[in-house]
Amino acid sequence: MANKSFAVIGLGRFGENIARALSEKGFEVIVIDSDENEVQLFADIVTHSFVLDATDERALKDAGIADVDVAIVSLGQNIDTSILVTLILKEIGVKEVIVKAVNERHGKILQRIGADKVIYPEREVAIRLAESFVSPKIFDYIELSPSHSIIEIAAPRQFFGKTLNEIQLRQKYGVTLIAIKRKIPIVTDKGTPDFKEDIIISPSIDEELAEGDVITLLGRYEDLARIEKL
Amino acid sequence: MGKKISVSAQDYIEKGQFYLINKKYSEAIKQFQKALKLKPDVLIYFHLGLAYEASCQIPQAIEMFRKAIELDANHKEAIEHLNSLTNQ
Repeated sequence: MANKSFAVIGLGRFGENIARALSEKGFEVIVIDSDENEVQLFADIVTHSFVLDATDERALKDAGIADVDVAIVSLGQNIDTSILVTLILKEIGVKEVIVKAVNERHGKILQRIGADKVIYPEREVAIRLAESFVSPKIFDYIELSPSHSIIEIAAPRQFFGKTLNEIQLRQKYGVTLIAIKRKIPIVTDKGTPDFKEDIIISPSIDEELAEGDVITLLGRYEDLARIEKL
Repeated sequence: MGKKISVSAQDYIEKGQFYLINKKYSEAIKQFQKALKLKPDVLIYFHLGLAYEASCQIPQAIEMFRKAIELDANHKEAIEHLNSLTNQ
């Protein structure tokens, strides 16, 4: 699979994080911002960086925007500009345009004008944070669909010392175990104790759960809720 | 006339470490708590932090690492663990 190329337009809080994260993963990243100082910070990290006005269609084309696989528009609170830039990008023919929305109305407009995906980063993080308070036992939570989610939870005490075959998660509780995160105690070179984290994906039915294991489960909300109560 | 055997904090720490290496976290915590009663110490707080973290008792782990850092502001490992637990 050829390496995907990205353009990040707008180096605000969201833009700089996504640009950095994509670069770290080895993707080709072009960054664009009208602020020279912002762009300077990224010059060494990304493939190409441009100081330009993103509403300038000519300048965007010269920067090679038509060739990227994915353009991410993260223009802060600037609703009008982000709408305009999205229109321009779709007109130029960028394959996938992902836009950060300021609010729901903004998001609806973006969808209407052809944004391939609209994201509400603060809302999504807020929802996950709220979920984590519903059940303090949940380490992480991903909504898969309106009826199913994936949760990461400390293995309940009553599962300790039992194999997956004995626990029968699917038969008894209706959930699927995807992975086990386990801490392996080690002694560092300095002689101090520490942990190494091991992850077992799709463990065999003979795998035994132990105290400290964090299990990733997939299932319907009601079924996962039953596990949380154990 | 029986001989009184005094168990030092060090004995509890060693027992705790043994339990820790063998992933018996509840037992490890008990031993470290006993050690703590005899002698509050950076090392004991750090070990407690590890034991709580390993057994997924995160708020307690955070408290222990904080206490360790209170006693030794330069304890690199306690700082690393505290950061990783509070930066989810």
